Amino acid sequence: MAPASHPAVFTTQSPYPLPPQMFMIPATWSRYQLSQLVNKALSLAKPVPFDFLLRGDLLKSSLADWCTQNAVGEEETLEIEYIESVLPPQKMSDLPHDDWVSAVSCQLEQRFLTASYDGQLRAFDYSQNQTWSGPIHGAAITSFCIVPSTSADSHLIATASHDLTAQLTEITLEATQKAKPLASLHLHTAPLSSVAANSSGSQILTASWDGLVGLWDTVVPETDEVPEPAAGDRKKRRKIEENKPKRKAPLMVLKSHTARVSGAVFNDEKTAYSCGFDSTVRSWDLEHGLCANTITSSERPFLSLSLAPSSAPFTVLATSTDRTISQYDFRDPHPLASLTLTHPATPSCIVRSPSHPHQILSGAYDGAARIWDLRSVKGATPVASFKPWDGDKKILGVDWKNGGIVGVAGEGGLGVWKVGEGA
Amino acid sequence: MAALPRSKKRKQSSEDVVAAVEAPAFSAPVQSLEMLSDDEGPEETASDDGQVDEFPEIDGASDSEEEALGDDEDEEDEDEETDKEDFEEADSDDSLDRDIFPKPKTIISDITGQPKRVYPEIEPDYDSDSSTEDTQNRVGDVPMHWYDDLPHVGYDMDGKKVLRPARGDELDKFLSTVEDPSAWTSAFDKTAQMDRPLSAEELDIIRRLYANEVPDAGYNPYEPMTEWFTGKGKEEIMPLSAAPEPKRRWVPSKWEKQKVMKIVRAIRQGRIISSKPKTASKLDFYSIWSEPSTSHAPPLPAPKPRLPTNSESYNPPEEYLPSEAERAEWEALDPEDRERDYLPTKHSALRLVPAYDRFIKERFSRQLDLYLAPRIQRVKLNIDPSTLIPKLPSPQSLKPFPNYKSLKFTHSSRARCISISPDGAWVISGDEGGVVSLWEVNVGREVKRWKFEGKIGALEWCPRLDVSYFVVGVEETLHFVIPPNVPSSIFLLTQSLLAPATLPPAPETPSPVKWVTPPTSSWSPDTAILTVHLPPSSGLPKQITWHRRGDYMASVSSGGTQGGVWMHQITRRHSQAPFKKIRGAVQLVLFHPLKPHFFVATQQYVRIYNLSEQKLLKTLTPGIKWISSMDVHPSGDHLIVGGYDRKLCWFDLELSDKPYKILRYHTRAIRSLAFHPTYPLFASSSDDGAIQVFHSRVYNDLMTDPLIVPLKILRGHTVKDGLGVLQVRWCARQPWLVSGGADGTVGLWCS
Repeated sequence: MAPASHPAVFTTQSPYPLPPQMFMIPATWSRYQLSQLVNKALSLAKPVPFDFLLRGDLLKSSLADWCTQNAVGEEETLEIEYIESVLPPQKMSDLPHDDWVSAVSCQLEQRFLTASYDGQLRAFDYSQNQTWSGPIHGAAITSFCIVPSTSADSHLIATASHDLTAQLTEITLEATQKAKPLASLHLHTAPLSSVAANSSGSQILTASWDGLVGLWDTVVPETDEVPEPAAGDRKKRRKIEENKPKRKAPLMVLKSHTARVSGAVFNDEKTAYSCGFDSTVRSWDLEHGLCANTITSSERPFLSLSLAPSSAPFTVLATSTDRTISQYDFRDPHPLASLTLTHPATPSCIVRSPSHPHQILSGAYDGAARIWDLRSVKGATPVASFKPWDGDKKILGVDWKNGGIVGVAGEGGLGVWKVGEGA
Repeated sequence: MAALPRSKKRKQSSEDVVAAVEAPAFSAPVQSLEMLSDDEGPEETASDDGQVDEFPEIDGASDSEEEALGDDEDEEDEDEETDKEDFEEADSDDSLDRDIFPKPKTIISDITGQPKRVYPEIEPDYDSDSSTEDTQNRVGDVPMHWYDDLPHVGYDMDGKKVLRPARGDELDKFLSTVEDPSAWTSAFDKTAQMDRPLSAEELDIIRRLYANEVPDAGYNPYEPMTEWFTGKGKEEIMPLSAAPEPKRRWVPSKWEKQKVMKIVRAIRQGRIISSKPKTASKLDFYSIWSEPSTSHAPPLPAPKPRLPTNSESYNPPEEYLPSEAERAEWEALDPEDRERDYLPTKHSALRLVPAYDRFIKERFSRQLDLYLAPRIQRVKLNIDPSTLIPKLPSPQSLKPFPNYKSLKFTHSSRARCISISPDGAWVISGDEGGVVSLWEVNVGREVKRWKFEGKIGALEWCPRLDVSYFVVGVEETLHFVIPPNVPSSIFLLTQSLLAPATLPPAPETPSPVKWVTPPTSSWSPDTAILTVHLPPSSGLPKQITWHRRGDYMASVSSGGTQGGVWMHQITRRHSQAPFKKIRGAVQLVLFHPLKPHFFVATQQYVRIYNLSEQKLLKTLTPGIKWISSMDVHPSGDHLIVGGYDRKLCWFDLELSDKPYKILRYHTRAIRSLAFHPTYPLFASSSDDGAIQVFHSRVYNDLMTDPLIVPLKILRGHTVKDGLGVLQVRWCARQPWLVSGGADGTVGLWCS
């Protein structure tokens, strides 16, 4: 019998469009042959690997297999979308830590900044050397963010900790210089879960287990805005008197969550999103401090959230303990999860690609970081995945820098990986 | 008077034949007469009679003529004639019936010399049948109502219509009966459509029928008996057989006598009891269909013998014929082991087939088989197994429930006890090495660690939300510990609660339990802020349980007096033993979530006490050999009790002392049970390393039984030294389960 072949039309959103034309594709072909076909048809000078999406499903096996799995007849014309394939991520370096690393940031030039459960903030350069470290909190730091600022040599860091406060700290990343705590943010009565700064660096959001979201400005006050607790041990206070940060009160308290708030992010200067254990994702009007919109999901306690990649504005992605990442669009009047990415273990953190309009990276408790393409809406298979450490050491934080540098923080320290974005 | 002419007429019947030539002439006037006088029926008959009567001379002539004709009839006829004449004479004054029918004459036969009866000859003449004599209507045998609306009633011999005789009205009828003396003996003749007088014979028959006599006048029921073999001169003189008469004819039978004597003896000895006189009226009626038929199955038909196959044919196909090797192999085998007990053999013709040599043997073995191997009908239970499974909702519809292990926390030795903070954010787990770890539920990162001396027997978080501390039970001591990172207000309140500046007044009765607060200077987050020393030799506290208000706490120690149960009041810093004496070793205690009730589980019983009234309310008997665990539903109306013998009993406390339901799902001993405080869930853990999660919906109305649905078996703990999962606890606000195993891991199971 002659090998069966499928009529197919290729579409793409990548910068390599094919002329609209029908191809007869042998059913036995899989990704590699299709990629070669596209390369030949385009007669590219340098071969570009492509991945292929059939009805939102990433093609992993041959066309015939896919057709039998999805009950597609031989005569039907397949619409194949091709995307630049993600090269297998490559490990760049492994930076072990003494304690679990809860968060990582790669946003600084030539530096990785990590926050750890021992309350320390550490900085590493690209040659795997620890260039700076400093104790910020007496308890575990759960999250931190770099507040964008204009000064070149010093950076303003906001940290959230188990000790019920967030802190604004100025660091210079020089080995001799100690961190300079500017202000401690006093609002919450339970450990904080996340902190985020807006793009202009003027405001900070903190999310806490007590169900509150605090909105703060980054201006360091002259005097304590919140009085000291009346009772307490005087000796201890005196010890750290000289380097004591100013006690700062919030601009606004966003109250609406009924359980722990696990994540809060800015969308723009005026709106913010938060998610919590009460299975809701909320959008906030920051001018009035009101909850503008609430998306309630059933029995899906959210662990963290992130803005969706640039292709989907007003959309958030949230990880939940039922092992899914859900996408919610706030423009939708009756939002349901428009996309659900299922994981084999609890996904703990999520970050969007800084440059790619469709990709996100998630880290899970089984120790695997996965890159997902949101066009592959079936959502069962990540585009690529890698394990920074052996065993099932949990991943607690991920960050993705422009240029394909990915920092993965977790039980095993910090792993730095290079994620190719097609080129 | 009528009889005489009638007999004459009969005698002259032959004369009629003689006059047959004149018959047309004779009948014509009769016809015309009839035609003319319709209404004169009786008259006519009378005239007929009269006519008949007018021929006596012809009668006599015919007689003589007859005599002349029948000379071959010889004297007999003459006798007859004479007899008849005598008879007639005798008759004339005798009763009427005698002379209606032709009378037989009794004559002496010449041959036998015996008297015999001779009847008058019946001449088969044309006219011998008198029934046609005076029939004018020859319409035939048709229903006469066909002529009902016609003027005639039939046709005569000439084909002329016989007109319907005029019928008078009732008055005419009456007049005719008055005038005509014979009217009452007449009957309506359908063919003639008129009344006809009945003949004397007919009247005689009617009379006899009325008198219940034989209708035939000539029948004599009292005929004289003819003797053939008896009587004078007819005795058999010679015997038929010459054999001498046997002796038994006159000798009494000896055997009969013996038989009779046997019966007599039996009657005397009482072996034979004369049967009671049968009462015929005592019939025992019963309905044979009322009682069910016997449960015994009817005997089974014998199994049919196997039908012969192709290979048993006298001329089997070639492929059935054994080769030499096969034949040798068959013969070498023991007859018992042979697959078949014959070898296919080919015969060229059916007549060459020898007699079947194994017939007897085969028949015998079949009989033996039927006799010695009784058959029974095997009743195949044809039940669809799916119908036996109770109808339960699908677990998918009962979400959320924990279904996967989200993370695990590892201890260096057995994680015997765990507790979750009332806000559901922190877990403390204690192991047998004396280490208590505090960690976040969702991350699993140990935040703080305490080290105590000896095994951790129990630990429990205080359920109050305005203070934050937990109690750790180690050997003979209870430590009260404040976790780190609590807000200062809560911290201060907790401090003032556990170590108040002014101690409450000491109770009147000194207690063997000592409450000790270390001096303020030595306080540190690593040590206990308050220590309760249980009486010496009380052993390891096995269980600590809190009252929901968080002021009272009960602890159960493995040793000591009073069952090792101590009730501690935090605000008064006082401990007391609630029981002076208690039967059995106390395994567990529990506070009722709503009422002042107290559950005490001993090895086999659960007793419920009312603490305010200080009396025993109820004793539950779960039927478990050794109770290991117990938990009360948040509503307080239901209790689950687990045992080391794998049973899990659900008690409805409103209902009964006996379990409402007994579940045996675990393959090893149950170690721990826990109800979720808000979700309708409970979990049980066992030494088989599995945790089973159940949906348990309790309804508010008392009519509906609780719904218990097994949801999920969580596997992931390894069994170590025969111990599996030692304790399970639920997170307060989420459907998450925390389990501590003997393998040192504490797992968090998320939905």
